[in-house]
Amino acid sequence: MTFNNMSDPRRPNKIFRYKPPSTETNPTLEDPTPDYMNLLGMIFSMCGLMLKLKWCAWIAVYCSFISFANSRSSEDTKQMMSSFMLSISAVVMSYLQNPQPMSPPW
Amino acid sequence: MRSVFLLLPALLVLLAFPGARGRYNDDFDDGEDLAEFDDNDFAEFEDVSEDAVETETDPPPRAAAPSATVEDDEDEATVELEDGQDEFYDGDTQDQDSFKYDNEEFEGYEKTNPTFKETLILREVPAHLQNSWESYYMEILMVTGLLAYIMNYIIGKNKNSRLAQAWFNSHRELLESNFTLVGDDGTSKEATSTGKLNQENEHIYNLWCSGRVCCEGMLIQLKFLKRQDLLNVLARMMRPACDQVQIKVTLNDEDMDTFVFAVGNKKAMGRLQKEMQDLSEFCGDKPKSGAKYGLPDSLAILSEMGEVTDGVMDSKMVHFITNNADKIESIHFSDQFSGPKVMQEEGQPLKLPETKKTLLFTFNVPGMGNTSPKDMDSLLPLMNMVIYSIDKVKKLRLNREGKQKAEKNRARVEENFLKQTHAQRQEAAQTRREEKKRAEKERIMNEEDPERQRRLEEAAQRREQKKLEKKQMKMKQIKVKAM
Repeated sequence: MTFNNMSDPRRPNKIFRYKPPSTETNPTLEDPTPDYMNLLGMIFSMCGLMLKLKWCAWIAVYCSFISFANSRSSEDTKQMMSSFMLSISAVVMSYLQNPQPMSPPW
Repeated sequence: MRSVFLLLPALLVLLAFPGARGRYNDDFDDGEDLAEFDDNDFAEFEDVSEDAVETETDPPPRAAAPSATVEDDEDEATVELEDGQDEFYDGDTQDQDSFKYDNEEFEGYEKTNPTFKETLILREVPAHLQNSWESYYMEILMVTGLLAYIMNYIIGKNKNSRLAQAWFNSHRELLESNFTLVGDDGTSKEATSTGKLNQENEHIYNLWCSGRVCCEGMLIQLKFLKRQDLLNVLARMMRPACDQVQIKVTLNDEDMDTFVFAVGNKKAMGRLQKEMQDLSEFCGDKPKSGAKYGLPDSLAILSEMGEVTDGVMDSKMVHFITNNADKIESIHFSDQFSGPKVMQEEGQPLKLPETKKTLLFTFNVPGMGNTSPKDMDSLLPLMNMVIYSIDKVKKLRLNREGKQKAEKNRARVEENFLKQTHAQRQEAAQTRREEKKRAEKERIMNEEDPERQRRLEEAAQRREQKKLEKKQMKMKQIKVKAM
């Protein structure tokens, strides 16, 4: 017993390398929030651009921010940036076409 | 009165600047009733536009003699509107004689005046042409919200990072004394300790340790709350949650005997029993109380057999668990660990999921979300428990009875699995056989040479005949046996 406690438990010859857990086998463990938010952001920004709805464009900006905040570090930054730029362009285009301020729904 | 009349050209000029309401107020300051012009934003416009109409139409009607009557009509009409207009129009009518316009210049013009006045539509000035930021309050709200989100992102990210670093600093010594490799991201060629956490997310940090007796490796996941996402922060105000530390120790085959065991708080045990493949198959009974071993009432035990519980719950383990009961979410030892139950699609032949000997620990960080870096030190005894468990599991061996029971259990589970998938596997075999036949038939059909075709057909027929005979023999044998 004491021999075990005194000896070093480390074994350099028993090293296993880190293998990132594959997400194919456990799709439930992955957080789907960034993907959903990305998709939502794109849909809202397209709505805002096509239908000239300012509130759609603003929600798209929020969605792309939320998607960015929840994204994994392994994810492509290009995807994030593209959805972000799309939502910003939706807001800008809505205001260029119709500079009136947004009216609240109430 | 003359002074008022002189104001008219000034008003005409001011009409060109509709946003400059302030100036109108100044002009009306001398003697006029301000309240009437403050009633609505566009009172001035109404007055001025009417005045403008009248001043513009004034010159034409003034030229014609009947214009006086028209003006009187207008006077009467305008008198009804507002008192303040009287002085204006009185001034107009008084001055019209001295006005330079030729009365006969615009004969017949007055006819358009009444219609002109009736079709006059007063429009509101669009909000974006008003020089005030107040009308854009919704946009300002939106931008403020975005700024608040960004601020929260930065603050949350930093807090999570500080917590992770604090945890690592307090545990570094213990880990480095137990493992050769502390910190690996799997990308570098050589297996050298990186000595730092892998950041998977703004709220998840990983650490892989390896190079120790009794285990293959240990993956530690610091699963913090999503402090960087404002939505999550607001949701947590409704439903409090806490940061978690998840530790998964993977063992070699010789490091662990065959048993399945779990202990943790009651809710977690109930959930795990439903979710986890191995716990649902091997630990069928409801979670039992650990009071027999001296555990607090908040904890429950799921075990394959009583002997396993007795073996795992020695005094030191009980001591660890009792002292840290509030921080323990679940502890799960299993030689048949394959993760949570996976929902299979219909019609797919199932294979038994791959299992790995694993020890899983889930700890709750104290503070219920309001953790400070100092709280991370309180998790150190739990890491000691983990190390102790690894050594203990290596030494824990079931006696002969226990081993037999365990083997029976595993055989039972496998049989159940095969039964469930029997129908599916039969279907799969059937489809495969049909595929083969079809392929052969196609080959025969595609043969150019009729001679060869005939020969292949005969060969296929002979094979089928043989199979039929075999089947018949089998059926006969079964019948004989049954008798």
